[in-house]
Amino acid sequence: MAKPTLGVFGLTGCAGDQLVILNCEDELLELTELVDIKDFLMASSGNDTSCQLDVALVDGAVLSQRDEDMLKRIRERSRLLVALGTCAVWGGVASLDRNQDRTRLLEDVYGEMGKKYDSLPARALHEVVNVDLSITGCPIEKDQLISAVASLLQGDPPLYPKYPVCTECRMREYNCLLIERGEICCGPLTVAGCQARCPGLNVPCVGCRGPADDANVESAMNMFGEKGIPREEIAAKLRTFAPAWGVNV
Amino acid sequence: MKVLRLPKERLDLFASVLQQFGEVHAPVEQNGKYAFRALSRWSDARLDYPRTILPPKKYFVPPKDTLFQYKEGLGYVPADLAADRRIILFGLHSCDIYGLNILDQVFSGKYDDPYYQARRKNVAIIGVDCIPDEHCFCHSMRADFVDKGFDLFFQDLGDRYLVMVGTALGDDMVLATGSLFEPVTPEDLAEYKQRSSAKRKAFKLHVEIRDLPEIFELEYDSSLWKQVGDRCLSCGACSMVCPTCYCFDVADDVDLGARSGSRSRTWDSCLFSTHAMVAGGENFREGRASRVKFRYYHKQRGFVAEYGRPSCVGCGRCISACPVNIDISQVISQLRGIENATA
Repeated sequence: MAKPTLGVFGLTGCAGDQLVILNCEDELLELTELVDIKDFLMASSGNDTSCQLDVALVDGAVLSQRDEDMLKRIRERSRLLVALGTCAVWGGVASLDRNQDRTRLLEDVYGEMGKKYDSLPARALHEVVNVDLSITGCPIEKDQLISAVASLLQGDPPLYPKYPVCTECRMREYNCLLIERGEICCGPLTVAGCQARCPGLNVPCVGCRGPADDANVESAMNMFGEKGIPREEIAAKLRTFAPAWGVNV
Repeated sequence: MKVLRLPKERLDLFASVLQQFGEVHAPVEQNGKYAFRALSRWSDARLDYPRTILPPKKYFVPPKDTLFQYKEGLGYVPADLAADRRIILFGLHSCDIYGLNILDQVFSGKYDDPYYQARRKNVAIIGVDCIPDEHCFCHSMRADFVDKGFDLFFQDLGDRYLVMVGTALGDDMVLATGSLFEPVTPEDLAEYKQRSSAKRKAFKLHVEIRDLPEIFELEYDSSLWKQVGDRCLSCGACSMVCPTCYCFDVADDVDLGARSGSRSRTWDSCLFSTHAMVAGGENFREGRASRVKFRYYHKQRGFVAEYGRPSCVGCGRCISACPVNIDISQVISQLRGIENATA
């Protein structure tokens, strides 16, 4: 039986999620035995840019017409399309300004010539095409990537936690930075999977993985408000990585 | 029950003898909070701690527990439970010992759980008494005193301990020390009774559990559940830190290429949106309010029907771990229609 074909693509972003794939040094050889990597520009200069793919992993957000065309083309070529990383899944950092006047932003940064640039407000992949699986994270967690590939090869979707970072933080018995130090920790709202890495290093969660399932943003806003933290400050913090928290300020 | 006394200055000696029975674990300070950890030296142990972040259930039902592995050529490889090291868990409060006794009913009752039982055999329990803080209500839950579930229990009498010997293993520990322990004196017993009565009066938080299952039954449709549900973050903290929350989720991890993998169980919580989700995406408790309500009903009502007492032991961890200050004592008071039950 022919090996499943795989493509890895980057839209607008830092390409950090593609880099995580290349950093799977212990698994790379096994990975290439199991799948036929056809198109991965970051890893190879000899790519088949038109073949059909069983799985496409797409990193970055849609920020230009070029991105949009490329994504639609990837969608047409692929049986399964996987959004890779917070930018692809939620819109990411680049979506911070997506409700502002684009022309004015371009002029502010690039002056008169900015008007000519191909630049659109950031969109997550699912806002443009159908997405079959999302692996969030900034960057993605290596173990979640490997388990996705391992599960997909069996024909199963991978199982990821939908609960918030607090759960993993408590499982690891870390001190609670929110309760004990009154810090703006986004742990109660952010989806787990990172094993509460930041709180474990005494750094409050910044919400880089995007919202947990059923995140209670309204109650969290009130909670931060009672600690004397302005609503706008929390909203700005949450919007850094994802516009989809339902935050209205 | 055999009862002895141990002058406090001999505790260090006792601790050094204990090492021959296993690896000694005790509460240690961790940035102002406390956690049960393996001790690198006895002086790190803090026996005057209020409560640990996680209860001792982590030793018996770990957050993630590998049940078996499978490997190409070997087939299924069960978890090697006998290879677990022997541990002496020093410094459990009554409420936590009571919590373990409740877990026993779940994991060693109608359904035997070999993983739990193997660890229960490998871990010795030494209790110490404590002074309640503002979140403690173990006396309300009848868990401020235990008569079983420990190998030894140390009651603080100021410059000495009154030591209750609960098991043959506990007795072996005492005997291994030679003549470190002494017979109790009438003064010790008088002091113990005086302190025991003073402790009862020291509780600031009171929860009335008589007729509570009936109150829960009557208030099933109370608007309070929506109010609490609107506040709850579904973060799961209360379940993780609860000494008697034992729900877990079982899942398989497949290694690349599927030539090996493992099956494990991970702590779960009824507050998670996925907890009551079934095939086809249907969800029995989709709303947050219904999930919060379920947690209360299971602890305070369902468990009573099944096991004859609430599964809550009043340790206060869920109160101190809730980011939005949901306080079980207040929820129960509000349900009863009492505004201030702390008086």
